[in-house]
Amino acid sequence: MSLSRQEKLAWLEKVPLLRQCGAEVLEHIADVSGELPFADGDAIVLQGQVGNGLYIVTSGEVRIVAGGEELARLGPGEFFGELSVIDQQPRNATVYAVGPTACLALASWDLLALLEREPQLAMNLLHELADRLRRIDAQVRD
Amino acid sequence: MNQTELLNALAGLTLFSDLDQPQLESVAHTLSAESFPAGQRILRQGFSGSGFFVILEGEVGVRVDGEDVARLGRGDFFGEISLLLGEPPVADVVAESPVKVLQLAGPQLRDFLLEHPPVMFRMLQSVSRRLERANRRG
Repeated sequence: MSLSRQEKLAWLEKVPLLRQCGAEVLEHIADVSGELPFADGDAIVLQGQVGNGLYIVTSGEVRIVAGGEELARLGPGEFFGELSVIDQQPRNATVYAVGPTACLALASWDLLALLEREPQLAMNLLHELADRLRRIDAQVRD
Repeated sequence: MNQTELLNALAGLTLFSDLDQPQLESVAHTLSAESFPAGQRILRQGFSGSGFFVILEGEVGVRVDGEDVARLGRGDFFGEISLLLGEPPVADVVAESPVKVLQLAGPQLRDFLLEHPPVMFRMLQSVSRRLERANRRG
């Protein structure tokens, strides 16, 4: 059950990461992203591999695991895989599907080209990473 | 520091390394150079309304509740997380030696980054690395 281009677009409009981005950016993402289905327990990205893309959860749930410990769970509209694309280092966590799950996958070169072309997307991503960094720092201190 | 010295200093910093000459000049025009004596607090934990700082010379200590958590030197920058989130800083930043910085007033950071995408991408890389280190630590 894959999404039509129109459904993809309607869905992308609701993704917080893409807020305030131009319509042509969403259309471009709808064109170049692919929807990938995963079964319960499938590893979507593997710790130690260099990042090949950004994933946005469209249905289901994923869990992020590093060193045997679960760091977070993400649901529809949330994304993962961006860190390793941005700094070209091996992935620091493995991400597993929890139940039947689907993700929109954006290849690393498409993401990097978009970040260069659409500063608002880079700003949204920067804001999200800043927020995560501050929450982790707060946890470490508590 | 005159304009030529400032431009040369800027061009040598990772944050600005992808900019061409006209862009460097625009950055030099927007940021102001400031000096702090050793011991001076540059950023204050819990107090908003500060700025974004890029270190040109010297070393600063990052302190949370009086405890040293990091040292930063030439080319490193600080203050951006609080400004991006619109929250007060969660650490003090104190000059450990005489320090020269480039400063940008807080309210200007967002527009500055949107106008200089290569600088924003370098900042994105820096925050990504810090996040990966924090994930490993946590």
